[in-house]
Amino acid sequence: MEARSAAGLTASFTSPLRAAWRDAVALFANIPFGVSLLALWALLTLIGVVIEQGKDASFYASEYAPPLARLIVRLDLENIYHSPAYIGVLGLIICSMTAATFTKVIPRRIPRLNPVKIEAIPLHASVRVAGDVESVRERVGAFFAARGWQVRKREFGGAEWTFADKNNWARRGVLVAHVGFVIIAIGTTIYWAKGYSGQFAVLSGQSATIPESGARIDLERFAYRIDPIRTKAGLVYQPIDYVSNAKVTGRDGLAREAVIRVNQPYDVDGTLIYQATYGFAIDFRLTRDGRPVPGPEMLKEGEGFTIPGTSRSIQYQRFVGTIDRATGQPAADPRPNDPGVVVQAFDGDQPAGAALIPLGRAVDLGAGYKLEAARYVLYSGFQYRYDPGMLWVGIGALVLLAGACVAVYLLPARLFVLVREVSPGASEVGIAATTVKGYDIFEERFREIVEALRRSEPAHDTASAERVPALKGV
Amino acid sequence: MDPTRQLIDQWLLGIGIGAYIAAALALFAYFLMRHPLLRTIGISLAAAGCVAQFGELGARWWMTGVWPLTNLYGSLSLFSAASVAIFLVFTARYDLAFAGGFVTTLAAIAFTYGTTWNEGYMPAVPALQSYWIKIHVPIVITAYASFMVAFSVALIYLLKSVAESRYARRSVVGAAALSAAGPGGAANAYAISPGLETIRSGTPALDQAAAAGDATAQWLTGLPTLAKLDIMQYRIIALRWSLLALGIITGAMWAKEAWGAYWQWDPKETAALASWIVYAIYIHLHTRPEWRGTRSTIINVIGFASIFFCYLGVNVWIGGSLHSYKM
Ligand code: HEM
Repeated sequence: MEARSAAGLTASFTSPLRAAWRDAVALFANIPFGVSLLALWALLTLIGVVIEQGKDASFYASEYAPPLARLIVRLDLENIYHSPAYIGVLGLIICSMTAATFTKVIPRRIPRLNPVKIEAIPLHASVRVAGDVESVRERVGAFFAARGWQVRKREFGGAEWTFADKNNWARRGVLVAHVGFVIIAIGTTIYWAKGYSGQFAVLSGQSATIPESGARIDLERFAYRIDPIRTKAGLVYQPIDYVSNAKVTGRDGLAREAVIRVNQPYDVDGTLIYQATYGFAIDFRLTRDGRPVPGPEMLKEGEGFTIPGTSRSIQYQRFVGTIDRATGQPAADPRPNDPGVVVQAFDGDQPAGAALIPLGRAVDLGAGYKLEAARYVLYSGFQYRYDPGMLWVGIGALVLLAGACVAVYLLPARLFVLVREVSPGASEVGIAATTVKGYDIFEERFREIVEALRRSEPAHDTASAERVPALKGV
Repeated sequence: MDPTRQLIDQWLLGIGIGAYIAAALALFAYFLMRHPLLRTIGISLAAAGCVAQFGELGARWWMTGVWPLTNLYGSLSLFSAASVAIFLVFTARYDLAFAGGFVTTLAAIAFTYGTTWNEGYMPAVPALQSYWIKIHVPIVITAYASFMVAFSVALIYLLKSVAESRYARRSVVGAAALSAAGPGGAANAYAISPGLETIRSGTPALDQAAAAGDATAQWLTGLPTLAKLDIMQYRIIALRWSLLALGIITGAMWAKEAWGAYWQWDPKETAALASWIVYAIYIHLHTRPEWRGTRSTIINVIGFASIFFCYLGVNVWIGGSLHSYKM
């Protein structure tokens, strides 16, 4: 008695859970639900295209109306691809895909061989032929086998059915595509869990260390090539090559010569180092009443310093390769022929004027301060990345692609054939067709198949054969 | 480049655009009049334009030694040539000639617009100096181009479908068909024969009006059935959806080599992903009978808008893309 009530209790406890589980699976397996998630994914992805990513709040404040700028920051839209909402939607898509795969795709795409009501299937026909049931069934089976159909026979309730399948193996394409998507998700998760990436800049003659791996890069030289090209719009200076000559020291402590070029990454202990950018670092010299003031040293574009004892600061904005001597303005040639730098002065947060300073010439900043851009040093900008999930992502992408191709190019079709006796020496071949992509797509082919079958068989009597419509409902 | 070579280039360019415009006129005339001669003329002109364009691309490569797809001009050139080539291939298989006027017009517009981006002959910037440019770019552009062909078929589907509902609203038979179809009406051709779960029963109101001698209805019934148009769209999209996937994958492989990460959330690749998702939605909804036809055609149109945005919108309106040709 006690045991029974305990079982009842467990049942009453588990059944609501089971029911909830069933409801959840049904919801997730629902195609409109899954498709809504895909639509949400597309929408979030597009938002990230339209709203520039990874900027700070001041950027959005200057680019958008204040309420929109606040919304962007508050909703994480400035870093949407790493936001909980984005990752959450991807997680839900995988759940939805998994639920649909088990409850819909497998039963629908890989159906068992079961008899059907032939007339209830829109693509159906009947052909009257001469011969007893047994011999007609044999001939019909041979007819389909000869045309590359996989023929199987099964008996149900005393009636023998013939099932003919085309591209049966291709029914698994959807499964393969869905599995590919999951493998990609595993690969990206591995990267999030174990991988790292970053960027750094090294001045020629200096070194940098990748913090996560300890690899050291001594940049011996950075070189670039920019060629003047005459185009319809005039002379254009086109970058042709960027290359860093470095010594890279990995975990084994050995320094190796490395040539790191655009499109040709260097591998150190599994971490790939890429030539990403370059620039001109400037050796700024600040003096007060002729005496050097410690503060600015080598600055890269965008960096700055505060003038000691004042509220003023100076930012190095950009390098100008060639100053036009006639106008004193930047010329088009970016190569350092007659170089200078554009600096911007700030008083507190407020811009207080910009100036183009030729290299080697000092400018007066007031209060006895003088600033000189003494020389430039080329620096090389690198990106690095260690991604242990990359192989997974690569394999997943190929699996997804292969599955998708099989699923969308090939059309698995199944014919259900039942031969019945209509009179001694005469049989009727009932034939219906289903495909995984509906009936319309197979209509013409089905008509051809039935016609070919009709032609291959001796008609029971022409008149009756003609009376039977080839395809009802077509 | 020497003037003779430049002249050859100009000639091929002129022949390409001229042939597309003439083909568009002939094929629109065929669309309206259905005279087989117009079809033959239109298809031949489209083929000639396509050959001239591919010739121009090849000639540019041969004459300058610079791969021609490194700027928007070369890219739009291939886009229009590929869309006409795909149209011709599908016409041979599915008789798409009725859509040719739309395809060749769009190709002529794309090509002409492309010439405004022609800066002359420039070597590629370092990031584009990779063998991947010869693999990735043609694949992606061919995928874009084929979505344009699918879009042209979508326009014809919508034209026929909207006409059917107009005629259905007018005629008694149509009213009956509409009431049988329920809300949404005959515009959703599935509803006409819900038991069959197919759209082959087509356009009863149009058929009736055509039989009664209505010239417009007769013209409309001469177009392929809604079911056929739906299948054509599916076939083109299905094929090219996987091509876009291949384009994204080869892009990721190149990105891995060039920038260190196979995925950078760069606006261009991200916009391509968004388009791919829209077409994934199409592919999924098309597995459901009630979504085939008008609804999936509308998704096809949305998909093409997203391709348009990805292809030109990102270059023109969105800054900071690593895919900007001017990098
Ligand atoms: C929201 C998540 C998803 C769900 C719920 C889902 C579910 C389904 C279902 C139920 C089918 C139809 C099977 C049938 O009718 O026989 C299908 C087909 C398919 N799915 Fe998914 N799927 C999802 C995501 C994906 C993704 C991300 C891919 C990417 C490759 C994909 C690729 C395919 C392909 C290629 C087909 C075959 C379509 C055709 O034959 O026309 N699915 N999916």
